[in-house]
Amino acid sequence: MKQQSELLKSAKLILRDPLGLLGLVIVIALVGSAIFAPSLAPFNPTAIDMKARLSGPTASHWLGTDQLGRDTFSRMILGGRVALQVALPSIAAALGLGLLLGMVAGYGPRWLDNAIMLLFDTLRSFPTVMLALSFVALVGPSLGTVMLVVIVTSAPIYGRIARTQTMTLKSSEFITAEEAMGARMPRILLIHILPNILGTLVVLASMDIPAVIALEAGLSFLGMGVKPPTPSWGSLLKDGYALIRSTPWLIIAGALPIVMTTLGFTFLGEALRDVADPKLRRTR
Amino acid sequence: MLFYTIKRLGLAALIIVVAMTLLLVMVHMVPGDPARTMLGPRATPEMQEALRIRMGLDKPLITQIGLFFLNLLRGDLGMDVFENRPVATIVFEQLPYTLELIAAAIIWPVVLGTILGVYSASHRNSLIDRLTGVLSIAVVAAPAFVVSLFALLIFAVQLQWLPAIGAGDPDSFADRLRYLALPGFSIGLSWVGYIARMVRASMLEVLGEPHIRTARAFGLSEWRIHYGYALKLGILPIITMLGVGMGFLLSAAVFTEMVFARPGIGKLVIDSITSRNYPVVMGAVLVSTMLFVLSTAIADLANAALDPRVRKAL
Repeated sequence: MKQQSELLKSAKLILRDPLGLLGLVIVIALVGSAIFAPSLAPFNPTAIDMKARLSGPTASHWLGTDQLGRDTFSRMILGGRVALQVALPSIAAALGLGLLLGMVAGYGPRWLDNAIMLLFDTLRSFPTVMLALSFVALVGPSLGTVMLVVIVTSAPIYGRIARTQTMTLKSSEFITAEEAMGARMPRILLIHILPNILGTLVVLASMDIPAVIALEAGLSFLGMGVKPPTPSWGSLLKDGYALIRSTPWLIIAGALPIVMTTLGFTFLGEALRDVADPKLRRTR
Repeated sequence: MLFYTIKRLGLAALIIVVAMTLLLVMVHMVPGDPARTMLGPRATPEMQEALRIRMGLDKPLITQIGLFFLNLLRGDLGMDVFENRPVATIVFEQLPYTLELIAAAIIWPVVLGTILGVYSASHRNSLIDRLTGVLSIAVVAAPAFVVSLFALLIFAVQLQWLPAIGAGDPDSFADRLRYLALPGFSIGLSWVGYIARMVRASMLEVLGEPHIRTARAFGLSEWRIHYGYALKLGILPIITMLGVGMGFLLSAAVFTEMVFARPGIGKLVIDSITSRNYPVVMGAVLVSTMLFVLSTAIADLANAALDPRVRKAL
Protein backbone atom coordinates (compact mmCIF):
# COMPACT_ATOMS: atom_id res chain seq x y z
CA MET A 1 0.00 0.00 0.00
CA LYS A 2 2.76 2.37 0.96
CA GLN A 3 4.67 1.59 -2.22
CA GLN A 4 1.63 2.43 -4.32
CA SER A 5 1.20 5.83 -2.73
CA GLU A 6 4.89 6.45 -3.34
CA LEU A 7 4.38 5.62 -7.01
CA LEU A 8 1.38 7.91 -7.15
CA LYS A 9 3.43 10.69 -5.63
CA SER A 10 6.13 10.19 -8.26
CA ALA A 11 3.55 10.27 -11.05
CA LYS A 12 2.13 13.51 -9.66
CA LEU A 13 5.60 15.04 -9.48
CA ILE A 14 6.24 14.24 -13.14
CA LEU A 15 2.87 15.62 -14.18
CA ARG A 16 3.52 18.84 -12.27
CA ASP A 17 6.82 19.45 -14.11
CA PRO A 18 5.77 21.01 -17.43
CA LEU A 19 8.83 19.78 -19.33
CA GLY A 20 8.46 16.32 -17.82
CA LEU A 21 4.83 16.24 -18.92
CA LEU A 22 5.80 17.37 -22.41
CA GLY A 23 8.42 14.62 -22.52
CA LEU A 24 5.86 12.05 -21.42
CA VAL A 25 3.43 13.19 -24.12
CA ILE A 26 6.10 12.97 -26.83
CA VAL A 27 7.24 9.52 -25.71
CA ILE A 28 3.65 8.22 -25.56
CA ALA A 29 2.99 9.67 -29.02
CA LEU A 30 6.13 8.01 -30.38
CA VAL A 31 5.38 4.60 -28.89
CA GLY A 32 1.72 4.83 -29.88
CA SER A 33 2.50 5.79 -33.46
CA ALA A 34 5.03 2.97 -33.67
CA ILE A 35 2.55 0.38 -32.39
CA PHE A 36 -0.32 1.53 -34.60
CA ALA A 37 1.91 2.58 -37.51
CA PRO A 38 0.27 0.39 -40.18
CA SER A 39 -3.19 1.81 -39.48
CA LEU A 40 -1.97 5.38 -38.95
CA ALA A 41 0.01 5.62 -42.17
CA PRO A 42 -2.25 6.93 -44.94
CA PHE A 43 -0.30 5.09 -47.66
CA ASN A 44 1.68 1.90 -48.03
CA PRO A 45 5.20 3.17 -47.23
CA THR A 46 6.81 1.07 -49.97
CA ALA A 47 4.16 1.61 -52.65
CA ILE A 48 5.73 3.23 -55.72
CA ASP A 49 3.73 5.87 -57.60
CA MET A 50 5.86 7.34 -60.39
CA LYS A 51 3.18 9.81 -61.43
CA ALA A 52 3.30 11.53 -58.02
CA ARG A 53 7.08 11.52 -57.59
CA LEU A 54 8.92 14.37 -55.84
CA SER A 55 5.82 16.34 -54.97
CA GLY A 56 5.80 18.89 -52.16
CA PRO A 57 3.23 18.70 -49.38
CA THR A 58 -0.31 18.26 -50.73
CA ALA A 59 -3.69 17.40 -49.23
CA SER A 60 -3.09 13.68 -49.71
CA HIS A 61 0.70 13.57 -49.27
CA TRP A 62 1.20 15.68 -46.13
CA LEU A 63 4.99 15.73 -46.34
CA GLY A 64 5.30 15.19 -50.08
CA THR A 65 6.78 12.18 -51.85
CA ASP A 66 10.24 10.88 -52.67
CA GLN A 67 11.98 10.04 -55.95
CA LEU A 68 9.82 6.91 -56.34
CA GLY A 69 6.57 8.64 -55.41
CA ARG A 70 6.42 6.95 -52.00
CA ASP A 71 4.51 8.89 -49.34
CA THR A 72 7.03 10.58 -47.01
CA PHE A 73 4.62 10.94 -44.08
CA SER A 74 3.86 7.20 -44.10
CA ARG A 75 7.55 6.38 -44.29
CA MET A 76 8.20 8.68 -41.34
CA ILE A 77 5.52 6.94 -39.23
CA LEU A 78 6.84 3.48 -40.10
CA GLY A 79 10.39 4.70 -39.48
CA GLY A 80 9.52 5.15 -35.81
CA ARG A 81 8.80 1.46 -35.63
CA VAL A 82 12.28 0.57 -36.90
CA ALA A 83 13.84 3.07 -34.50
CA LEU A 84 12.16 1.53 -31.46
CA GLN A 85 12.69 -2.02 -32.70
CA VAL A 86 16.41 -1.34 -32.61
CA ALA A 87 16.59 0.86 -29.53
CA LEU A 88 14.46 -0.97 -26.98
CA PRO A 89 15.84 -4.53 -27.21
CA SER A 90 19.44 -3.40 -27.57
CA ILE A 91 19.29 -1.01 -24.61
CA ALA A 92 17.58 -3.71 -22.53
CA ALA A 93 20.26 -6.25 -23.46
CA ALA A 94 23.06 -3.75 -22.76
CA LEU A 95 21.50 -2.95 -19.39
CA GLY A 96 21.19 -6.64 -18.49
CA LEU A 97 24.76 -7.41 -19.50
CA GLY A 98 26.15 -4.29 -17.84
CA LEU A 99 24.28 -5.05 -14.60
CA LEU A 100 25.50 -8.64 -14.53
CA LEU A 101 29.16 -7.82 -15.21
CA GLY A 102 29.14 -4.68 -13.08
CA MET A 103 27.63 -6.39 -10.03
CA VAL A 104 30.04 -9.32 -10.34
CA ALA A 105 32.96 -6.90 -10.68
CA GLY A 106 31.84 -4.91 -7.67
CA TYR A 107 31.15 -7.88 -5.44
CA GLY A 108 33.51 -10.58 -6.69
CA PRO A 109 37.26 -11.04 -6.14
CA ARG A 110 39.74 -8.30 -6.99
CA TRP A 111 41.30 -10.06 -10.03
CA LEU A 112 37.87 -10.52 -11.63
CA ASP A 113 37.10 -6.86 -10.99
CA ASN A 114 40.36 -5.84 -12.68
CA ALA A 115 39.69 -8.11 -15.67
CA ILE A 116 36.14 -6.84 -16.15
CA MET A 117 37.23 -3.22 -15.78
CA LEU A 118 39.94 -3.71 -18.41
CA LEU A 119 37.32 -5.18 -20.74
CA PHE A 120 35.03 -2.18 -20.10
CA ASP A 121 37.85 0.32 -20.68
CA THR A 122 38.81 -1.45 -23.88
CA LEU A 123 35.29 -1.50 -25.29
CA ARG A 124 34.92 2.19 -24.46
CA SER A 125 38.18 2.98 -26.22
CA PHE A 126 36.70 2.61 -29.71
CA PRO A 127 34.97 5.68 -31.11
CA THR A 128 31.38 4.34 -31.36
CA VAL A 129 30.86 4.97 -35.04
CA MET A 130 34.28 3.52 -35.92
CA LEU A 131 33.45 0.32 -34.03
CA ALA A 132 30.05 0.22 -35.73
CA LEU A 133 31.68 0.59 -39.12
CA SER A 134 34.21 -2.16 -38.46
CA PHE A 135 31.34 -4.48 -37.45
CA VAL A 136 29.54 -3.53 -40.66
CA ALA A 137 32.71 -4.28 -42.63
CA LEU A 138 32.93 -7.70 -41.00
CA VAL A 139 29.35 -8.97 -40.89
CA GLY A 140 27.60 -6.65 -43.33
CA PRO A 141 24.99 -3.95 -42.73
CA SER A 142 21.82 -4.95 -40.88
CA LEU A 143 19.73 -3.90 -37.91
CA GLY A 144 21.31 -6.78 -35.98
CA THR A 145 24.73 -5.23 -36.50
CA VAL A 146 23.48 -1.90 -35.14
CA MET A 147 22.05 -3.65 -32.10
CA LEU A 148 25.29 -5.52 -31.48
CA VAL A 149 27.23 -2.24 -31.53
CA VAL A 150 24.82 -0.66 -29.06
CA ILE A 151 25.15 -3.60 -26.66
CA VAL A 152 28.95 -3.65 -26.88
CA THR A 153 29.37 0.11 -26.40
CA SER A 154 26.61 0.75 -23.82
CA ALA A 155 27.04 -2.25 -21.51
CA PRO A 156 30.35 -0.89 -20.13
CA ILE A 157 28.70 2.43 -19.19
CA TYR A 158 25.97 0.71 -17.16
CA GLY A 159 28.47 -1.83 -15.88
CA ARG A 160 30.70 0.85 -14.40
CA ILE A 161 27.81 2.47 -12.57
CA ALA A 162 26.48 -0.89 -11.35
CA ARG A 163 29.96 -1.74 -10.08
CA THR A 164 30.37 1.48 -8.10
CA GLN A 165 26.92 1.15 -6.56
CA THR A 166 27.48 -2.51 -5.71
CA MET A 167 30.75 -1.60 -3.98
CA THR A 168 28.97 1.00 -1.88
CA LEU A 169 26.25 -1.46 -0.88
CA LYS A 170 28.69 -4.31 -0.30
CA SER A 171 29.83 -3.00 3.06
CA SER A 172 26.36 -2.13 4.35
CA GLU A 173 25.02 -3.98 7.36
CA PHE A 174 22.18 -5.87 5.71
CA ILE A 175 24.59 -7.47 3.26
CA THR A 176 26.99 -8.42 6.07
CA ALA A 177 24.03 -9.98 7.88
CA GLU A 178 23.11 -12.00 4.79
CA GLU A 179 26.71 -13.15 4.41
CA ALA A 180 26.78 -14.20 8.07
CA MET A 181 23.71 -16.33 7.44
CA GLY A 182 25.58 -18.04 4.62
CA ALA A 183 23.99 -16.44 1.55
CA ARG A 184 25.97 -16.99 -1.63
CA MET A 185 26.88 -14.47 -4.31
CA PRO A 186 23.97 -15.10 -6.73
CA ARG A 187 21.43 -14.65 -3.94
CA ILE A 188 23.07 -11.51 -2.58
CA LEU A 189 23.41 -9.95 -6.02
CA LEU A 190 19.97 -10.80 -7.38
CA ILE A 191 17.79 -10.46 -4.30
CA HIS A 192 19.57 -7.80 -2.28
CA ILE A 193 21.71 -5.65 -4.52
CA LEU A 194 19.83 -5.65 -7.83
CA PRO A 195 16.57 -4.11 -6.50
CA ASN A 196 18.58 -1.32 -4.91
CA ILE A 197 20.42 -0.24 -8.04
CA LEU A 198 17.94 -1.10 -10.79
CA GLY A 199 15.90 2.14 -10.60
CA THR A 200 18.81 4.51 -11.20
CA LEU A 201 20.13 2.43 -14.07
CA VAL A 202 16.76 2.11 -15.80
CA VAL A 203 16.40 5.91 -15.75
CA LEU A 204 19.93 6.30 -17.14
CA ALA A 205 19.30 3.70 -19.83
CA SER A 206 16.04 5.31 -20.90
CA MET A 207 17.92 8.56 -21.44
CA ASP A 208 20.24 6.72 -23.84
CA ILE A 209 17.40 5.62 -26.13
CA PRO A 210 17.65 8.77 -28.31
CA ALA A 211 21.40 8.23 -28.76
CA VAL A 212 20.70 4.72 -30.02
CA ILE A 213 17.99 6.00 -32.35
CA ALA A 214 20.43 8.60 -33.67
CA LEU A 215 23.07 5.91 -34.22
CA GLU A 216 20.63 3.74 -36.17
CA ALA A 217 19.55 6.76 -38.21
CA GLY A 218 23.17 7.73 -38.78
CA LEU A 219 24.20 4.30 -39.99
CA SER A 220 21.10 4.02 -42.18
CA PHE A 221 21.95 7.46 -43.53
CA LEU A 222 25.36 6.12 -44.53
CA GLY A 223 23.67 3.09 -46.13
CA MET A 224 25.13 0.87 -43.40
CA GLY A 225 21.93 0.27 -41.42
CA VAL A 226 18.52 -0.87 -42.67
CA LYS A 227 18.28 -2.26 -46.15
CA PRO A 228 15.96 -0.56 -48.65
CA PRO A 229 13.00 -0.39 -49.05
CA THR A 230 12.53 -0.57 -45.25
CA PRO A 231 11.61 2.95 -44.12
CA SER A 232 13.83 4.42 -41.41
CA TRP A 233 14.44 8.02 -40.37
CA GLY A 234 18.02 7.55 -41.48
CA SER A 235 17.06 6.31 -44.94
CA LEU A 236 14.70 9.28 -45.32
CA LEU A 237 17.70 11.51 -44.62
CA LYS A 238 19.79 9.50 -47.07
CA ASP A 239 17.23 10.00 -49.85
CA GLY A 240 16.86 13.63 -48.79
CA TYR A 241 20.63 14.15 -49.05
CA ALA A 242 20.66 12.74 -52.58
CA LEU A 243 17.76 14.99 -53.54
CA ILE A 244 18.87 18.03 -51.53
CA ARG A 245 18.72 20.28 -54.58
CA SER A 246 15.16 19.25 -55.51
CA THR A 247 13.25 18.97 -52.21
CA PRO A 248 13.91 19.78 -48.54
CA TRP A 249 10.94 17.73 -47.32
CA LEU A 250 12.69 14.39 -46.98
CA ILE A 251 15.37 15.89 -44.73
CA ILE A 252 12.72 17.61 -42.63
CA ALA A 253 10.71 14.38 -42.32
CA GLY A 254 13.81 12.46 -41.26
CA ALA A 255 15.20 15.04 -38.85
CA LEU A 256 12.02 16.17 -37.10
CA PRO A 257 11.20 12.85 -35.39
CA ILE A 258 14.84 12.35 -34.31
CA VAL A 259 14.94 15.77 -32.66
CA MET A 260 11.48 15.35 -31.09
CA THR A 261 12.35 11.90 -29.74
CA THR A 262 15.57 13.18 -28.20
CA LEU A 263 13.79 16.09 -26.56
CA GLY A 264 10.99 13.83 -25.31
CA PHE A 265 13.26 11.25 -23.71
CA THR A 266 15.58 13.94 -22.28
CA PHE A 267 12.74 15.88 -20.64
CA LEU A 268 11.10 12.72 -19.30
CA GLY A 269 14.40 11.31 -18.11
CA GLU A 270 15.33 14.50 -16.27
CA ALA A 271 11.92 14.60 -14.60
CA LEU A 272 12.29 10.94 -13.59
CA ARG A 273 15.77 11.59 -12.23
CA ASP A 274 14.52 14.48 -10.14
CA VAL A 275 11.81 12.25 -8.75
CA ALA A 276 14.23 9.41 -8.09
CA ASP A 277 16.74 11.71 -6.40
CA PRO A 278 15.03 14.04 -3.92
CA LYS A 279 18.30 15.90 -3.33
CA LEU A 280 18.20 17.21 -6.89
CA ARG A 281 14.51 17.99 -6.50
CA ARG A 282 15.24 20.51 -3.81
CA THR A 283 18.09 22.32 -5.49
CA ARG A 284 16.20 22.87 -8.70
CA MET B 1 53.96 12.58 -11.16
CA LEU B 2 56.48 10.48 -13.08
CA PHE B 3 55.05 7.31 -11.56
CA TYR B 4 51.53 8.39 -12.46
CA THR B 5 52.58 9.23 -16.03
CA ILE B 6 54.17 5.81 -16.55
CA LYS B 7 51.18 4.04 -15.04
CA ARG B 8 48.66 5.99 -17.12
CA LEU B 9 50.55 5.54 -20.39
CA GLY B 10 50.99 1.84 -19.58
CA LEU B 11 47.24 1.51 -19.16
CA ALA B 12 46.70 3.27 -22.50
CA ALA B 13 49.11 0.87 -24.23
CA LEU B 14 47.43 -2.14 -22.61
CA ILE B 15 44.00 -0.94 -23.75
CA ILE B 16 45.21 -0.54 -27.32
CA VAL B 17 46.73 -4.05 -27.29
CA VAL B 18 43.55 -5.63 -25.89
CA ALA B 19 41.33 -3.63 -28.27
CA MET B 20 43.28 -4.66 -31.35
CA THR B 21 43.49 -8.29 -30.24
CA LEU B 22 39.70 -8.32 -29.80
CA LEU B 23 39.28 -6.91 -33.30
CA LEU B 24 41.66 -9.46 -34.84
CA VAL B 25 39.94 -12.34 -33.03
CA MET B 26 36.63 -11.04 -34.36
CA VAL B 27 37.89 -10.93 -37.93
CA HIS B 28 38.95 -14.54 -37.42
CA MET B 29 35.64 -15.68 -35.92
CA VAL B 30 33.36 -14.15 -38.51
CA PRO B 31 31.93 -16.77 -40.88
CA GLY B 32 33.25 -16.52 -44.43
CA ASP B 33 36.69 -15.08 -44.99
CA PRO B 34 37.78 -11.58 -45.93
CA ALA B 35 39.62 -12.77 -49.03
CA ARG B 36 36.42 -14.13 -50.54
CA THR B 37 34.39 -11.04 -49.63
CA MET B 38 37.05 -8.74 -51.04
CA LEU B 39 37.32 -10.50 -54.38
CA GLY B 40 33.60 -10.98 -54.88
CA PRO B 41 31.64 -14.02 -56.06
CA ARG B 42 33.40 -14.47 -59.39
CA ALA B 43 36.87 -15.14 -57.98
CA THR B 44 38.32 -18.62 -58.36
CA PRO B 45 39.43 -20.56 -55.27
CA GLU B 46 43.05 -20.13 -56.44
CA MET B 47 42.71 -16.34 -56.52
CA GLN B 48 41.18 -16.38 -53.05
CA GLU B 49 43.99 -18.57 -51.74
CA ALA B 50 46.63 -16.27 -53.23
CA LEU B 51 45.06 -13.20 -51.60
CA ARG B 52 44.73 -15.05 -48.30
CA ILE B 53 48.47 -15.78 -48.34
CA ARG B 54 49.29 -12.19 -49.30
CA MET B 55 47.22 -10.87 -46.40
CA GLY B 56 48.71 -13.44 -44.03
CA LEU B 57 45.30 -14.98 -43.33
CA ASP B 58 46.62 -18.53 -43.92
CA LYS B 59 48.72 -18.39 -40.74
CA PRO B 60 47.33 -19.44 -37.34
CA LEU B 61 45.54 -16.74 -35.34
CA ILE B 62 48.28 -16.41 -32.71
CA THR B 63 50.92 -15.83 -35.41
CA GLN B 64 48.66 -13.28 -37.11
CA ILE B 65 48.22 -11.35 -33.87
CA GLY B 66 51.95 -11.51 -33.08
CA LEU B 67 52.90 -10.34 -36.58
CA PHE B 68 50.32 -7.55 -36.38
CA PHE B 69 51.87 -6.06 -33.25
CA LEU B 70 55.46 -6.54 -34.49
CA ASN B 71 54.56 -4.64 -37.65
CA LEU B 72 52.67 -2.03 -35.66
CA LEU B 73 55.81 -1.27 -33.63
CA ARG B 74 57.60 -0.56 -36.91
CA GLY B 75 54.73 1.70 -38.00
CA ASP B 76 53.59 -0.84 -40.59
CA LEU B 77 49.82 -1.25 -40.84
CA GLY B 78 49.97 -3.72 -43.72
CA MET B 79 49.48 -3.28 -47.43
CA ASP B 80 46.44 -2.11 -49.31
CA VAL B 81 46.10 -5.08 -51.65
CA PHE B 82 44.08 -3.15 -54.23
CA GLU B 83 46.32 -0.12 -54.67
CA ASN B 84 49.52 -1.83 -53.55
CA ARG B 85 50.41 1.02 -51.19
CA PRO B 86 51.11 0.84 -47.47
CA VAL B 87 47.93 1.32 -45.41
CA ALA B 88 49.81 3.65 -43.06
CA THR B 89 50.56 6.04 -45.94
CA ILE B 90 46.92 6.07 -47.02
CA VAL B 91 45.60 6.65 -43.49
CA PHE B 92 48.12 9.37 -42.64
CA GLU B 93 47.32 11.16 -45.90
CA GLN B 94 43.71 11.49 -44.75
CA LEU B 95 44.28 12.06 -41.03
CA PRO B 96 45.24 15.78 -41.23
CA TYR B 97 41.89 16.60 -42.85
CA THR B 98 40.02 14.98 -39.96
CA LEU B 99 42.23 16.61 -37.32
CA GLU B 100 41.75 19.99 -38.98
CA LEU B 101 37.97 19.43 -38.92
CA ILE B 102 38.00 18.37 -35.27
CA ALA B 103 40.05 21.44 -34.34
CA ALA B 104 37.65 23.70 -36.24
CA ALA B 105 34.73 21.96 -34.53
CA ILE B 106 35.93 22.30 -30.95
CA ILE B 107 37.90 25.55 -30.69
CA TRP B 108 34.97 27.92 -31.20
CA PRO B 109 32.59 26.09 -28.82
CA VAL B 110 35.27 26.07 -26.10
CA VAL B 111 35.80 29.83 -26.44
CA LEU B 112 32.13 30.73 -26.78
CA GLY B 113 30.98 28.16 -24.21
CA THR B 114 33.49 29.39 -21.63
CA ILE B 115 32.43 33.00 -22.09
CA LEU B 116 28.74 32.08 -21.83
CA GLY B 117 29.43 29.82 -18.84
CA VAL B 118 31.35 32.44 -16.89
CA TYR B 119 28.73 35.05 -17.69
CA SER B 120 25.90 32.71 -16.62
CA ALA B 121 27.69 31.93 -13.36
CA SER B 122 28.14 35.60 -12.47
CA HIS B 123 24.69 36.62 -13.73
CA ARG B 124 22.53 33.76 -12.51
CA ASN B 125 18.96 33.68 -13.80
CA SER B 126 19.71 36.46 -16.27
CA LEU B 127 18.30 36.22 -19.78
CA ILE B 128 21.57 34.85 -21.20
CA ASP B 129 21.81 32.29 -18.38
CA ARG B 130 18.32 30.98 -19.15
CA LEU B 131 18.90 31.04 -22.89
CA THR B 132 22.09 28.94 -22.63
CA GLY B 133 20.19 26.54 -20.36
CA VAL B 134 17.49 26.01 -22.96
CA LEU B 135 20.04 26.02 -25.79
CA SER B 136 22.12 23.33 -24.12
CA ILE B 137 19.18 20.91 -24.15
CA ALA B 138 17.59 21.93 -27.42
CA VAL B 139 20.70 21.82 -29.59
CA VAL B 140 22.04 18.58 -28.14
CA ALA B 141 18.79 17.04 -29.39
CA ALA B 142 20.01 17.22 -32.97
CA PRO B 143 22.85 14.81 -33.80
CA ALA B 144 25.80 16.29 -35.70
CA PHE B 145 24.83 14.68 -38.99
CA VAL B 146 21.33 16.13 -38.82
CA VAL B 147 22.78 19.60 -38.12
CA SER B 148 25.20 19.04 -41.01
CA LEU B 149 22.34 18.23 -43.38
CA PHE B 150 20.44 21.36 -42.39
CA ALA B 151 23.58 23.49 -42.58
CA LEU B 152 24.20 22.14 -46.07
CA LEU B 153 20.57 22.67 -47.06
CA ILE B 154 20.31 26.22 -45.75
CA PHE B 155 23.75 27.81 -46.15
CA ALA B 156 25.15 25.95 -49.15
CA VAL B 157 22.16 24.93 -51.28
CA GLN B 158 19.54 27.61 -50.57
CA LEU B 159 21.56 30.71 -49.67
CA GLN B 160 24.77 29.60 -51.43
CA TRP B 161 26.93 31.50 -48.93
CA LEU B 162 29.46 28.75 -48.42
CA PRO B 163 30.81 25.88 -50.51
CA ALA B 164 28.92 22.58 -50.26
CA ILE B 165 31.53 19.93 -50.93
CA GLY B 166 35.25 19.32 -50.66
CA ALA B 167 38.08 20.70 -48.52
CA GLY B 168 39.26 23.62 -50.65
CA ASP B 169 42.62 24.50 -52.15
CA PRO B 170 45.23 22.90 -49.86
CA ASP B 171 47.70 25.77 -50.43
CA SER B 172 45.36 28.58 -49.43
CA PHE B 173 44.65 28.87 -45.72
CA ALA B 174 41.71 31.22 -46.28
CA ASP B 175 40.13 28.85 -48.75
CA ARG B 176 40.53 25.86 -46.43
CA LEU B 177 38.95 27.87 -43.63
CA ARG B 178 36.00 28.70 -45.88
CA TYR B 179 35.44 25.01 -46.56
CA LEU B 180 35.80 24.21 -42.85
CA ALA B 181 33.18 26.75 -41.77
CA LEU B 182 30.02 24.67 -42.29
CA PRO B 183 31.35 21.28 -41.12
CA GLY B 184 33.05 22.87 -38.10
CA PHE B 185 29.89 24.77 -37.23
CA SER B 186 27.74 21.62 -37.54
CA ILE B 187 29.83 19.47 -35.23
CA GLY B 188 30.57 22.25 -32.76
CA LEU B 189 27.04 23.57 -32.31
CA SER B 190 25.93 20.98 -29.76
CA TRP B 191 29.10 21.56 -27.71
CA VAL B 192 28.49 25.27 -27.02
CA GLY B 193 25.60 24.80 -24.59
CA TYR B 194 27.18 21.73 -23.07
CA ILE B 195 30.48 23.48 -22.32
CA ALA B 196 28.64 26.57 -21.08
CA ARG B 197 26.63 24.51 -18.58
CA MET B 198 29.74 22.71 -17.41
CA VAL B 199 31.78 25.87 -16.94
CA ARG B 200 28.82 27.48 -15.16
CA ALA B 201 28.47 24.60 -12.70
CA SER B 202 32.17 24.39 -11.96
CA MET B 203 32.50 28.18 -11.63
CA LEU B 204 29.65 28.25 -9.12
CA GLU B 205 31.41 25.56 -7.13
CA VAL B 206 34.73 27.41 -7.18
CA LEU B 207 33.10 30.75 -6.31
CA GLY B 208 31.85 29.22 -3.08
CA GLU B 209 35.34 28.27 -1.91
CA PRO B 210 37.23 30.04 0.90
CA HIS B 211 40.02 31.56 -1.21
CA ILE B 212 37.43 33.44 -3.27
CA ARG B 213 35.84 34.71 -0.09
CA THR B 214 39.27 35.88 1.04
CA ALA B 215 39.82 37.63 -2.30
CA ARG B 216 36.48 39.40 -1.85
CA ALA B 217 37.44 40.40 1.67
CA PHE B 218 40.59 41.98 0.25
CA GLY B 219 38.37 44.10 -1.94
CA LEU B 220 39.39 42.74 -5.33
CA SER B 221 37.03 43.60 -8.15
CA GLU B 222 34.39 41.03 -9.11
CA TRP B 223 35.82 41.00 -12.62
CA ARG B 224 39.27 40.14 -11.29
CA ILE B 225 37.83 37.43 -9.01
CA HIS B 226 35.85 35.79 -11.80
CA TYR B 227 38.39 35.93 -14.58
CA GLY B 228 41.64 36.05 -12.62
CA TYR B 229 41.00 33.46 -9.91
CA ALA B 230 37.83 31.41 -10.35
CA LEU B 231 38.19 30.74 -14.07
CA LYS B 232 41.59 29.09 -13.59
CA LEU B 233 39.99 26.34 -11.52
CA GLY B 234 36.60 26.46 -13.17
CA ILE B 235 38.04 25.58 -16.56
CA LEU B 236 39.60 22.29 -15.39
CA PRO B 237 36.61 20.05 -16.22
CA ILE B 238 36.88 21.11 -19.87
CA ILE B 239 40.22 19.28 -20.13
CA THR B 240 38.70 15.96 -19.09
CA MET B 241 35.73 16.60 -21.32
CA LEU B 242 37.96 17.21 -24.33
CA GLY B 243 39.75 13.91 -23.75
CA VAL B 244 36.56 11.89 -23.58
CA GLY B 245 34.96 14.08 -26.21
CA MET B 246 37.54 13.01 -28.80
CA GLY B 247 35.54 9.82 -29.36
CA PHE B 248 32.36 11.77 -30.03
CA LEU B 249 34.21 14.23 -32.24
CA LEU B 250 35.72 11.41 -34.31
CA SER B 251 32.31 9.78 -34.66
CA ALA B 252 30.67 13.06 -35.65
CA ALA B 253 33.48 13.71 -38.15
CA VAL B 254 32.63 10.49 -40.01
CA PHE B 255 29.11 11.71 -40.77
CA THR B 256 30.07 15.30 -41.44
CA GLU B 257 32.80 14.25 -43.86
CA MET B 258 30.25 12.20 -45.77
CA VAL B 259 27.67 15.01 -45.86
CA PHE B 260 30.18 17.61 -47.10
CA ALA B 261 32.13 15.10 -49.21
CA ARG B 262 35.30 16.12 -47.38
CA PRO B 263 38.38 13.91 -47.45
CA GLY B 264 39.32 12.42 -44.08
CA ILE B 265 39.44 9.25 -41.99
CA GLY B 266 35.65 8.87 -41.89
CA LYS B 267 35.23 9.10 -45.63
CA LEU B 268 38.18 6.75 -46.06
CA VAL B 269 36.52 4.10 -43.85
CA ILE B 270 33.15 4.37 -45.60
CA ASP B 271 34.71 4.25 -49.07
CA SER B 272 36.85 1.28 -48.01
CA ILE B 273 33.83 -0.61 -46.68
CA THR B 274 32.00 0.00 -49.95
CA SER B 275 34.96 -1.28 -51.96
CA ARG B 276 35.50 -4.09 -49.40
CA ASN B 277 39.03 -2.95 -48.73
CA TYR B 278 39.55 -4.66 -45.35
CA PRO B 279 43.16 -3.70 -44.56
CA VAL B 280 42.37 0.00 -44.97
CA VAL B 281 39.26 -0.25 -42.76
CA MET B 282 41.32 -1.97 -40.06
CA GLY B 283 44.13 0.57 -40.34
CA ALA B 284 41.82 3.56 -40.12
CA VAL B 285 39.91 2.10 -37.15
CA LEU B 286 43.22 1.36 -35.44
CA VAL B 287 44.57 4.88 -35.93
CA SER B 288 41.35 6.56 -34.77
CA THR B 289 41.14 4.29 -31.72
CA MET B 290 44.75 5.10 -30.82
CA LEU B 291 43.99 8.77 -31.21
CA PHE B 292 41.04 8.44 -28.82
CA VAL B 293 42.93 6.39 -26.22
CA LEU B 294 45.86 8.79 -26.38
CA SER B 295 43.71 11.88 -26.01
CA THR B 296 41.97 10.49 -22.90
CA ALA B 297 45.40 9.64 -21.46
CA ILE B 298 46.73 13.14 -22.20
CA ALA B 299 43.64 14.70 -20.63
CA ASP B 300 44.15 12.60 -17.49
CA LEU B 301 47.82 13.56 -17.35
CA ALA B 302 47.04 17.25 -17.81
CA ASN B 303 44.46 17.01 -15.04
CA ALA B 304 46.93 15.29 -12.75
CA ALA B 305 49.57 17.92 -13.48
CA LEU B 306 47.12 20.68 -12.59
CA ASP B 307 45.36 18.94 -9.71
CA PRO B 308 47.47 16.84 -7.31
CA ARG B 309 44.40 15.08 -5.88
CA VAL B 310 43.87 13.19 -9.15
CA ARG B 311 47.34 11.60 -9.09
CA LYS B 312 46.53 9.43 -6.12
CA ALA B 313 43.28 8.12 -7.63
CA LEU B 314 44.65 5.68 -10.22
